[in-house]
Amino acid sequence: MLPSNELVHLHLLLNHFPTVGLIVAVGMFVMAILRQSEELKQGSLAIMFAIALVALATYMTGYSAEKSLKNVAGVSQEIIDLHQRAALLALVLMEVTGVAAWFGLYSAHRGRLTRTHTTAMLVLSFATIGVMTGVANIGGYIRHPEILASPAAVPTSMFAPAWLDSRFITQYQYDHAWAWKSLESLHFMGLCLLFGVVTVVNTRLLGWLPNAPLDGMRKLLPWGVLGFGANTVTGMLFFIGQAFQYIENPAFHAKMLCILLAGADVLYLTWNHDVWNLEPGQTPPTAVKLLAASQVALWIGVIYFGRMLPYIGDAF
Amino acid sequence: MDAFLVWLQNLPPFLWVAESDSIWGYAFLLFVHAIGMGLTAGLALVISLRLLGVGTSIPVSSLRPLFGLFWIGFSLNFVSGSVLFATNATGHAHVLMMYVKLLLLALGLVVTRRLRVFVDGSTSDGIVPPSVRTTAVVCIAIWLSVIVAGRMIAYAVESAGASLTPADPAHMASLR
Repeated sequence: MLPSNELVHLHLLLNHFPTVGLIVAVGMFVMAILRQSEELKQGSLAIMFAIALVALATYMTGYSAEKSLKNVAGVSQEIIDLHQRAALLALVLMEVTGVAAWFGLYSAHRGRLTRTHTTAMLVLSFATIGVMTGVANIGGYIRHPEILASPAAVPTSMFAPAWLDSRFITQYQYDHAWAWKSLESLHFMGLCLLFGVVTVVNTRLLGWLPNAPLDGMRKLLPWGVLGFGANTVTGMLFFIGQAFQYIENPAFHAKMLCILLAGADVLYLTWNHDVWNLEPGQTPPTAVKLLAASQVALWIGVIYFGRMLPYIGDAF
Repeated sequence: MDAFLVWLQNLPPFLWVAESDSIWGYAFLLFVHAIGMGLTAGLALVISLRLLGVGTSIPVSSLRPLFGLFWIGFSLNFVSGSVLFATNATGHAHVLMMYVKLLLLALGLVVTRRLRVFVDGSTSDGIVPPSVRTTAVVCIAIWLSVIVAGRMIAYAVESAGASLTPADPAHMASLR
């Protein structure tokens, strides 16, 4: 289990990835367009996808940071709430950008990124940078009153409407029992879709479905991403509504670590275009087989630690 | 009937699973049940998607080995599901959702069996006939229903931790 002050450190470290990191990635993307370099474009898309994964952890560790500042003199809960609301909007934009970046890498297998996709990436990533910069700016005020115009001034942000407050989601989940049940049902459907695709594709990579061509198997990947997307949305709604039941749960930490590592595996395999050109009967190199095996193990780990949430630690 | 259910849930192994705080008891069975669900419903979904036209360059016949994995998943869930039932036999046996799920499960097996007949047949690498495509759509709908029905059992029968429930907002505020 990670001690809570380590989680606060983690928040202060990770917040640089969706802010500074994203600006660097988008700068690379623009440079790639100007230099007409497909390789560089794909490299920047890969970084954007990785940042979208890290942003999940950045958002979640924010609740540990909030808790650590409870009752600390000179810290305004109002500014923390403002930071959190804007962060939720930025997270949504970042995840949409991440999914779009993944589809860019996926379709780049055919050669190059289409003009429409390139434009969409520019619009999404610039919008994300805009909101994310606002989040970072408000975040800075939390512990640095010296940069506020006056000690009592609370910064405002048009990106932090009141209805984005996590307390509304908590209240809604409590008032409407069907909401939680529906989210759980969707979460289990997403699990089945994702795990089904993971099982079939990695079984092929490991050589047990030798007659299936990999360019056909590749077509299953968006369905796996759909399952993962459904579970990210439903899972984040569980988390946002009940954050303080999760943040100190060791099973939850383990689950998130497994998800991030499995996501890195997915990124590597999607981008490794050579793998998907293998003909029926051919098996990939040992390194790819090891990745495939690790990916199955990691997703089983995600299910294990997810199922253990009420049993390891004292959440729920 | 109730006498039998009481006898069943009082058998020492089931009593241990129900009452032990060990992570290797009830919690582990729920984990096994989730993995089995991922294999059965997950593979049924992927096979149905292929028959509906996802990844057409994959010869349908090449997917035959997946039914072996499907049955491994089913076996895991038959065993884990039976034990989970037995740990609270009197509770589960009186819940309508339990029978809804078992009925849907039986339908799911029948429909998956029909898909398998096509996949194992000599014409499986040709054009997928409309009747098989319809069966694939029905197959997806039924397995998704099995998942929902299974999830609802956890709410109908009181079983600690099988379902997570949202906290009272006042409690959440106090944790803040």
